[in-house]
Amino acid sequence: MATREVKISQNYETIAWKWMRYSAILLIPLVFGHVLMQDVLVGVYQMDSAYVAKRLSSWFFQAYDIALLGFAFAHGVNGLRQVLRDFIHNPKVFRVVSIVLFIFWLAITIYGGVALVMATQARLASL
Amino acid sequence: MSNLKNTLVGYATYRGREGHYSFLLHRLTGLGTLLFLTIHIVDMAWFYWAPDMFEEALRLYRSWPFLIGEIALIFAVYFHGINGLRIAIVDMFAPSKWAIAAERNAVRWTLVGSLILWIPSAWMMLSHAVEASKGAAHLLTNLGIF
Repeated sequence: MATREVKISQNYETIAWKWMRYSAILLIPLVFGHVLMQDVLVGVYQMDSAYVAKRLSSWFFQAYDIALLGFAFAHGVNGLRQVLRDFIHNPKVFRVVSIVLFIFWLAITIYGGVALVMATQARLASL
Repeated sequence: MSNLKNTLVGYATYRGREGHYSFLLHRLTGLGTLLFLTIHIVDMAWFYWAPDMFEEALRLYRSWPFLIGEIALIFAVYFHGINGLRIAIVDMFAPSKWAIAAERNAVRWTLVGSLILWIPSAWMMLSHAVEASKGAAHLLTNLGIF
């Protein structure tokens, strides 16, 4: 079969689509590892503040959790946006929904990100 | 409103068998995981913002309804991950596998792979819960469920 290269100019949607795919590939080891460790091997019955503090005192897990927060939540909110695209056919309405979702994503990411960094800093200061 | 109805009717009546079911399951597991993820980011952030509420959230996660939810959640995560990987690999390296018969086969293997990961995981999570309920009965009575 003959094929030819086609140049497609990058726009916002192309970048968002690529983000979905590349973040997904990274998310498989990140999320599967997180689920196996926290839910399956350790389990919620052994978790308390001391466990979380100990976990966050490790640079490795701090970086791991920041990567999870950054990649997983962006992937999820953009995924929700793609699902809503099936239901909202008016471009103006979809634009408004996209902006609302972006603000929602940013707010939750900052709320979680600040907690993650500050909790670690506080723990390190008390050592 | 007609958009909503048309799309939902399309979702329900399209007759694509395995490809169709995996599309629906991919969306459902994705949305379910996002719902939990949003709650999870907020309650874990309480570790810093509101330590009392953080402890309360952990107590809630130890209840039976949340255990069932957690076991369903990890199926959603496994299926969504493996199915997403299948789509990415076929797209990037083996587009010929989009042929209907090959896709149907791949979808079945995706489900088998998810179950192979999920069944031992679910069993381990259940046994953690049973151990916790034996060792510390107060944990469950505190929740007011028993």
